[in-house]
Amino acid sequence: MLLEVRDLQVEFRTRDGVVKAVNGVSYGVDAGETLAVLGESGSGKSVTAQAVMGILDMPPGRITGGEILFQGRDLLKLREDERRRLRGAEMAMIFQDALSSLNPVLTVGDQLGEMFVVHRGMSRKDARAKAVELMDRVRIPAAKERVKQYPHQFSGGMRQRIMIAMALALEPALIIADEPTTALDVTVQAQVMDLLAELRREYRMGLVLITHDLGVVADVADRIAVMYAGRIVESAPVHDIYKAPAHPYTKGLLESIPRLDHKGRELYAIKGLPPNLMNIPRGCAFHPRCPLAQDLCRTDVPPLYEVTGTDTTRHSACHFWRECLHG
Amino acid sequence: MPEQPFQPEGAGAVAGSGGTGGAMPWATSEAETLESPLSPRTATLKPSAPEDPGAPSASPERPRSLWSDAWRDLRRNPVFILSTLIIVFLVVISLWPSTIASGSPLKCDLAKAQQGSAPGHPFGYDGQGCDVYTRTVYGARTSVAVGVCATLGVAVLGSVLGALAGFFGGLWDSLLSRVTDVFFAIPVILGGLVLLSVVTSNSIWPVIGFIVLLGWPQISRIARGAVITAQQNDYVQAARALGASNSRILLRHIAPNAVAPVIVVATIALGTYIALEATLSYLGVGLKPPSVSWGIDISAASPYIRNAPHALLWPSGALAVTVLAFIMLGDAVRDALDPKLR
Repeated sequence: MLLEVRDLQVEFRTRDGVVKAVNGVSYGVDAGETLAVLGESGSGKSVTAQAVMGILDMPPGRITGGEILFQGRDLLKLREDERRRLRGAEMAMIFQDALSSLNPVLTVGDQLGEMFVVHRGMSRKDARAKAVELMDRVRIPAAKERVKQYPHQFSGGMRQRIMIAMALALEPALIIADEPTTALDVTVQAQVMDLLAELRREYRMGLVLITHDLGVVADVADRIAVMYAGRIVESAPVHDIYKAPAHPYTKGLLESIPRLDHKGRELYAIKGLPPNLMNIPRGCAFHPRCPLAQDLCRTDVPPLYEVTGTDTTRHSACHFWRECLHG
Repeated sequence: MPEQPFQPEGAGAVAGSGGTGGAMPWATSEAETLESPLSPRTATLKPSAPEDPGAPSASPERPRSLWSDAWRDLRRNPVFILSTLIIVFLVVISLWPSTIASGSPLKCDLAKAQQGSAPGHPFGYDGQGCDVYTRTVYGARTSVAVGVCATLGVAVLGSVLGALAGFFGGLWDSLLSRVTDVFFAIPVILGGLVLLSVVTSNSIWPVIGFIVLLGWPQISRIARGAVITAQQNDYVQAARALGASNSRILLRHIAPNAVAPVIVVATIALGTYIALEATLSYLGVGLKPPSVSWGIDISAASPYIRNAPHALLWPSGALAVTVLAFIMLGDAVRDALDPKLR
């Protein structure tokens, strides 16, 4: 397994109290595999990714438990300079908003080339040539001229492709994409996702795709992990989840996608609000919003049950996954 | 600042630094390039896409950045032009005072004390019979030297300490913040009277040292704030996620984005430092005769204001114009570096 997160726990100590952002997340990605991490804002998907990358703001953040195994090594036990050498070279991250993720006072060529200067010790001239090559790679036209331009001179989709180029520069084994297409309009979204998928196949990278958009996931991901209140509530191969979700939260998410054949009907919405992470409900965190909730759910935290009766490995953190799967 | 009429100079000179304005001409090429069936292998055999009509050819638009935008604004700003001319003139006469004043500022003739202007001595004589014109010209050297050196010292010390405190935060930051509070609490004039009265040296360095000592907390606060603001930008986190080290992040990604406010405050402060030197010299704790300084001359001439006002007015006027020029420059630079005013 390329990346394995085991029982990761992250909390933020704020003036108002301790925010438990991640409460025992476990997931894994193989080389060449795409894992989609799905969940609402505040479900802990980005925080988990930041912990994996080692760019969590500490303090106020604190990793209170768990391990992050990357190529067999526990990242949390490495020294900071060792982790820094991994970042960019072995694992890279793509951010949501490419405009704000690019430095406005440096040309894109300088920023792309920086990867080679920092990690490979290349001269600036060689780095510039590499930058042009990379821009070609992500299909930015007239790369030779545009390499001298500043980020604000590019359109949104192009900027995101430049971010992808930066992440890919050193051909890392793992890429974490944190909502890479949220800031883009729909047509450009598809193009960027296709590009990402294609480059991933070519380099046989592991890809962790963080998103709250179920539509983006379906074509690209191999597996899906659904997060709620800092936990994984369901994980399964992508098609199984769409066919028959084994957790009521996943089910709610799928039902709240607008569909053409449901035109004219009211769109389903999961009732209630996401939990306050300073005060997560006892038992199953989802029980106040769950249509299947019973007394057991209010008292006992459901473990991650193995979902049996399917030919693939699936897990669900619901006491009543059978009812959900078949109901 | 007077309103600038908008003059479309170059193509696409629409102001706005971080806006999307510059991106517009390129946005169209996006769709074209992506629709072409793409094999990344052939992509390295570029250029194929640029042949498309409408795809970017050699761009007439120059790369724009905060600095180039600011420079374009400044060149058209009369306040900037006027203050720059005055400052250039001041710098020239401080470097080569003999170009416009042939005499020596220390050659005095008591017989001519307090006399008005005479041929070859347009500003008249002061209480010691020295030529006011020559002394005013030579006084610029001290003022500019003190102003520039003190500002450099303050800017370097203040921005390094402030940037480190802002970047690393935590204990170091709290410590520095308390230290700046202590320095802010020292009254400038009183501090000068106490600290400089024990100095016997007659050079400009004790004065510069004193100004740096009391001036750095101001810049360090500005730098700290600017670094904290810049640090919260996504590109700083992105740079970290791609393996940049602390020093690289600070120097390459944060510093260029945080330096503008420091420059502005430092330029304005330069004028006030010149005034502070004159004040200290006037009070007798800054420079002392035989140094030539506007403050000394103002101090020496003030008892005779009714008999010989010219001996007071010329150095005071020179001081006022110099301070004004630097403050105007700082103002113009601030306006130019603030994208919200465009």
